[in-house]
Amino acid sequence: MLQYREGAGAAFDRLYARHKGPLFRFVLRGIRDPAQAEELYQDIWLRVVEARERYAPQARFTTWLYTIAHNRMVDHWRRRGLSIVSLDAEENPALDPPASPAEDPLRKLQSKERIERFMRALEALPPAQREAFLLREEADMSVAQIAAVTAANEEAAKSRLRYALAKLKEAVGDD
Amino acid sequence: MTEERDPKVSARYAELPREEPPREVDAAILARAHRAVGERPAPLVSPAGRRRWYFPLAAAAVIVLSAVVTLRMEREQPEADGVALRRDKPAPAAKPEAKTVAEPVPKAVEPERRSAQPPPAPAPAKPAEKAVAAARDAAGPALGAATAKIEPAPAAPPAQVQARGEAKPFPGAGTAASAPQARALARSAQVREEASAEMAAKRDVAETPEKWLERIAELRRKGEHEEADKQLAEFRKRHPGYRIPEAMLERVERR
Repeated sequence: MLQYREGAGAAFDRLYARHKGPLFRFVLRGIRDPAQAEELYQDIWLRVVEARERYAPQARFTTWLYTIAHNRMVDHWRRRGLSIVSLDAEENPALDPPASPAEDPLRKLQSKERIERFMRALEALPPAQREAFLLREEADMSVAQIAAVTAANEEAAKSRLRYALAKLKEAVGDD
Repeated sequence: MTEERDPKVSARYAELPREEPPREVDAAILARAHRAVGERPAPLVSPAGRRRWYFPLAAAAVIVLSAVVTLRMEREQPEADGVALRRDKPAPAAKPEAKTVAEPVPKAVEPERRSAQPPPAPAPAKPAEKAVAAARDAAGPALGAATAKIEPAPAAPPAQVQARGEAKPFPGAGTAASAPQARALARSAQVREEASAEMAAKRDVAETPEKWLERIAELRRKGEHEEADKQLAEFRKRHPGYRIPEAMLERVERR
């Protein structure tokens, strides 16, 4: 990022290639609307470009990048009528439609079923817990880093992560 | 920290599809990022959008223009020489002018020249030519070429010398009024000779020897013997090795 700040466009290419997949999945699974996810994802990177002059290597670039992403997602949830506090609450059923019961019989492959079940469990997580879990899995962040990105204290971050893991473990079951 | 990580959950999560952003989104982001970096070095120039093309375009236009002008100038140089040559050519165009200068003078002087003294230039040439012709007749055609080499050279210069020298006797011999006339006469003779020499030189380039001889024969036929003699002498000077056929010799030489 420092190289890019100094004007090396190729440095941005490398940075982008390294982070694009995890960040995109983080956004996509965080808000679950592909169209809005693309828009948000693009907006996050444009903010990175615009903020390059202000970038200071106090933290890892990953932390900085996901902090921008978190802030954009919070804005997104706010626009959808959710407060920051409610991010820890259980998901609004309207925003989290359960899987159609009619779909299950159609699933032939067991592995596919397992994945779907897991996906549904992930989608059913409260946004803050899901975000903590996604930061852990996609960005490989520690609790401290999750806390830094989400502007929460470490205890809160740890608790969110623990709750998320417990629910997902249920979905995994004994498979 | 291990309690916040579950291998089974992580493994199941890894089974989920690995979505990537669409390519057009990638391209848009990268383009924007590069454009943003491109803005930095030239803040005085409007950095965004089409204006970025102005300077490269202007530079390319200047280069192309200068190359075209250089090429054009290089091509025009030979033309400039051509102009110089064309300027040389007006000598023939000036010739009529010279003639206009030269001709009226002889007309005015003609009676005087005729009455005062015979034209001296042809006079020495005539005996020389006759002697050569006689010798050639005697020796046969084989000698023709050899003699042709010798005879024209002395024939022409004396004519010039005579023409120039012709003016000199006038002042000494004559009145104050005849002096300018004599000078004019000498000048006109000189101009005519130069013009005819030049014409001959050009003709020499353009004409074949046969054509030239044909023209001399034509002059002879018309009774313009003086000009015919001059041309013949010039011809021999220009083509010293040329053997004039007997039949043509009869037509071009004064009989």
